Amino acid sequence: MAASQTPTSPQSAPLVPREPFLTKRRAFSIVGLIIFLGFFAIPIYQTILLEMIGDTGQLMQQIVIGLTKGTYIAVIALGYTLVYGILELINFAHGDLFMIGAFLSLIFISLFGLDPKTSSGLTIFFSLIAILGLVMLCTAFLNAGIERFAYRPLRNAPRLAPLISAIGMSFVLQNVGIFLGDGLIWDKIAAGLGSDAIGRVADAMGSQSVAPKNIPDLLPNGQVFFVPASLRYTYKDLLVAVVSLGLLAGLYSFVRFTKLGKAIRATAQDRDAARLMGINADRTISVTFLIGGALGGAAGMIVGLYNGTALFTMGFTAGLLSFTAAVLGGIGNILGSALGGLLIGLVLSLSDQYIGTRWSNAVIFAILVLILLFRPTGLLGQEGGQKA
Amino acid sequence: MPNTKRYAITGGLGFAIGTFFLWNYPNLELGSALIGGLFIAALCLLYSAPLPDMVKGGLIAGLFGAVMTIVYGPEKPGVAIIAGMLSGLGAGLLAFQRKPQATPQAGAVLGAGAGAIAGAWTALALFLTAFVIAPAAGVTANDFAKHLSETVILADLLGLGSDILILLFVLVFCTITGALLGAAASAARALPLRPNIPLLAVIALPVLLIPLIDRAGNLLLLDALIPIYIFILLALGLNIVVGYAGLLDLGYAAFFAIGAYTTAMLSSPHLGINLSFWLVIWVAAAVAAIAGLTLGAPTLPLRGDYLAIVTLGFGEIVPILFRNLGGGPPAGTLTLRFFGMPIGIEQMDLTGGNKGINPISPPNLPLIGNFEPSNKIPWYYLLIIIMGLAIFFINRLRDSRQGRAWMAMREDELAADAMGINVVRTKLLAFSMGAMFSGFGGAFYGAFIGAIFPSSFDFSVSIILLCMVILGGLGNMAGVIVGGLLIQGADKMFIPKGAELFRDIADQRARATGGSTVGVSALQDLTQQRLLLFGIVLVVMMLIRPEGLLPNERRKAELHADDDPININSVAAEAEADPSVAA
Repeated sequence: MAASQTPTSPQSAPLVPREPFLTKRRAFSIVGLIIFLGFFAIPIYQTILLEMIGDTGQLMQQIVIGLTKGTYIAVIALGYTLVYGILELINFAHGDLFMIGAFLSLIFISLFGLDPKTSSGLTIFFSLIAILGLVMLCTAFLNAGIERFAYRPLRNAPRLAPLISAIGMSFVLQNVGIFLGDGLIWDKIAAGLGSDAIGRVADAMGSQSVAPKNIPDLLPNGQVFFVPASLRYTYKDLLVAVVSLGLLAGLYSFVRFTKLGKAIRATAQDRDAARLMGINADRTISVTFLIGGALGGAAGMIVGLYNGTALFTMGFTAGLLSFTAAVLGGIGNILGSALGGLLIGLVLSLSDQYIGTRWSNAVIFAILVLILLFRPTGLLGQEGGQKA
Repeated sequence: MPNTKRYAITGGLGFAIGTFFLWNYPNLELGSALIGGLFIAALCLLYSAPLPDMVKGGLIAGLFGAVMTIVYGPEKPGVAIIAGMLSGLGAGLLAFQRKPQATPQAGAVLGAGAGAIAGAWTALALFLTAFVIAPAAGVTANDFAKHLSETVILADLLGLGSDILILLFVLVFCTITGALLGAAASAARALPLRPNIPLLAVIALPVLLIPLIDRAGNLLLLDALIPIYIFILLALGLNIVVGYAGLLDLGYAAFFAIGAYTTAMLSSPHLGINLSFWLVIWVAAAVAAIAGLTLGAPTLPLRGDYLAIVTLGFGEIVPILFRNLGGGPPAGTLTLRFFGMPIGIEQMDLTGGNKGINPISPPNLPLIGNFEPSNKIPWYYLLIIIMGLAIFFINRLRDSRQGRAWMAMREDELAADAMGINVVRTKLLAFSMGAMFSGFGGAFYGAFIGAIFPSSFDFSVSIILLCMVILGGLGNMAGVIVGGLLIQGADKMFIPKGAELFRDIADQRARATGGSTVGVSALQDLTQQRLLLFGIVLVVMMLIRPEGLLPNERRKAELHADDDPININSVAAEAEADPSVAA
C-alpha cells in the first residue's frame, strides 16, 4: 500500500531482472486461452455490440443497474481484500458470512416486527439503522471468532492449510445458514420461550429450510426526483449506492488516517517488522477480521433488502463475484477493489441483459482468467504481488 | 501439559457435537441426548488416548465396522460379516503402519491382535443392533432372526437353529476372519518384497469376494460401492495434480464432467452416434486429458491461491457450458451471428441442457452381453480392473522421472527450474494426467448410471474429492484410498442409511407415544448435514493433523519440522539451569 522503501543507489542493478512480457510460459498460456475462449468469442462480440448500439436507453438503464450492483459487490470485495492484504489468505468463508448477514437481517426485521404496510416510515428508518448496526456487530464477531479458531492456529502452517480450513468454514457457515433458515427450529424455540417475536421469525422462514426466504420490501420504491422518467432509478437504488459508498469511504479513511489503520497497513506490509515496531500483530489481524466481517454483514443486509430474498447458497455466488472484483482491482488495494466492484457490477448487468443470465458466471470467470493472465496484480495492484 | 489440553479439546468437542446431533432427532429428549453425548465423548477420549498400536489400529478400524453394522444391521445383518473382514484388514494395515521394521512373524501377531479387536467390535455392534436398535426401529425379533438366517448362509449350512447361536457364530466368525486378514495383511507388508504382491493378494481377497457375498446374502451393497470406487478413482487422479505436483485444483469435477459428457454424446441415441463403450472410454480419457492441457496452459504463470481460483472458475464454467449448450428454449434467446450469418449452437442441443442425456448405452462383451443395470457384478469387476490399472500406472508414474519432477516442482518451483526441469511441460503433464484418470472415471460413471445431468458435477464434487485426498494424506495413494472409503462411505452409505434408521426409530417412538414426525427440520435430516460434516472434517483435519490419516513420509516431516519435542525440552532445561536466559 505504501511505496517501496528500499533505497537504491544509481549503480546497483535490480536484484531480480524484470521478466520480459512474452516469456515462453506466457506464450503457451495465451495460445491455451485462445483455444479456451476463442471459439465462441467472435460471434458473441459481434452480436452484442450491434444490440448495444441499437438501443441506448436500454444500455443506460443497464449501466445504472450495474453501477448500483457494483457498489455492494465492492463492499463484499473489501472483506476479501483486507484479509488477503494482511494474511495472503483467500477467505473463502467471507461470501458465506455475507449470506449470514442477509439471514440475520431478516431475523432482526421479523423480531422488530417491521412491515412495509403497517409500520410508519420513521420507525422503519430508525429500526433499519439499528438493525444494520446489530448485523454488523454479529458478523464482525463471528468473523473474528472464525479467525481465532480456524486460521490463527495455522499461521505458520503451509499455505494450503489455511485455505482449506477456510473452504471448510465456508461449508460450515452454509449449514449455519440452513439452520437459521429453518422455521421448524424457530418454532421449537418460540414454543419453548413462549415468545411472539420469535414466532414471527419462524413464520418468515417457513418450513422449507433450503427454500429462498422473502425479505419484506422496506426500502422506498419511488422514482428519484432529479432523474428523468425514461431512466428508472428509484430511491432504493440510491440508498443502496449511498450506504455502500459511505461504508467504502468510512473504511478507506479508517485505514488511511487512524492509528489502528496504520497498524493494519504496517502488518500487511511486513508482519515481523511491524511486530518489532511494537505492533500487536495478532490483535491487528483480529481487528481486520472484525472490520471485514462487519462489511460482509452490512453487504448481506443491503443485498437482502435490495433483492428481497435470502438463500443459503447466495454467499457462494456473491463471493465468487466479489473475489473476482478484488482481483480485478488489485487484491490488497482498497480503492482497487472499489473500482473492481463497480466494473464487475457493470459487466454482470450487461451480460445479464445481452448474453443471458445463465452465461453470466461463465463471463465473469472468463474475465478473471484474462486479468490474471495479463495483469496478475490487478488494475491498481503493485508489481510483485504474485508471491509464491 | 499438552496432552491434558488435547484430551479436554477432543472430549469437549465430542460431547458438544454428539449432543448437538443427537438432540436434533425427534422424540429424543435433551437428557438422553446428553447421555449419548457423554458416551461419544468417552469414545473420543478412548481414541485419542496413547494406546499401543495394536489396540489403536483395532479400535479405529473397528469403529468403521461397528458403524457399518449398526447402520445396515436392522435390515441386512449379513453386512456385519463384510464389515468384520474389512475392518480386520484395515486394522492389520493400521497396526503395522508405525512398525515398518517388524519381522513377518511379529507383524502377523500384531495384525492378528488388531484384527481380532476390530472384528470383535463389529460383532458387538451386531449384538447391540439385534437387542436394542433393531427393536427400536420397528424390526421385530422374529424379522431380525429371519433376515439373519437368510443372509448368513454359512450358519444355515452348519445347521445352527437358534438365533442366539447364529449371533454367536457371527461374533466368532467376524473376530476370526478379522484376525486372519489382519495377520495376513501385517505379515505381507513385513515381507521384504519390493512389489508387495502378497499384500495386494491379501487386499484383493475381500475386495474380489464382496460381490459374491453380496449376491449370496442379497445385501445390495454394490449399488453404493460402485459410486464410491468411481470417486476413489477420481481422487487418485486429483492426487496427481494436488499431491504430487502441488497444484491446488478446485475445479477437478470439470474433467469428470468432460469425461462423462464425451461418453454420453458418443455413445447414446441423443446425437445419433452410438459407438462402443470400449472405444469411447479411451476417447473420453483423451478428451479430458486435452481439456487438462487447455486449462493448464492459461494457468502456467500463476501460483498458489491464484491458481486455485482459476481452476475453480474453470470448474464453474464447464458445467455452465454443458447446461447451456442444449436443452429447451433458452431463457434469453441469443442468436449468434458470425459476420452476419446466424449460427445456431442453441438449436443443436448438444448436451440436453438441464435434463441431461438419457439413456447412455452400456458396455457390451461377447460372453456377458450387454451390462444390465440390474446386475451390478460385471460392472463391479470392470471397475476393479480399471482401478487396478490406474493404481498400477500412477504408482509407476510416481516413481518415474516425470513423477520425481512433479515432486521437485511441488517442493520448490524455482529450484526445480534451476535444476533443469522443464516446468512448463511438467505442469501441463500433471494437469493432463490427472484429468485423464477422471476421464476414465467419467466414462464409466456415464455408462453405469445410464444418464447424466449437469448438476452432478458442481463445486461440491470438487470439494468432496479434495477432502478425500486431504483426509487420507496428500501424495500417498493408500491414504487417498482410505480417505475416499471413509468420506464416500459416509456420503453414500452411512449417512443415508443412518438417516433412514433414525427416521424409523423416530417413527416407531412417535407411534408408541401417539405423536407424529411430519415436518422434519433441516437439523433432523442427516442427509442435508453431510456438507456440514465435510466442513468440520476439513477444518479439524487442518488443525490437528494437516498431513492426513496416512501421510506421505516426506510431507509429514515437512509439516512437523518445528514441533520437535527435544528442542523444546532442551530450551526449557537450559532456561532452568541459567536464569538469565529465561529472563
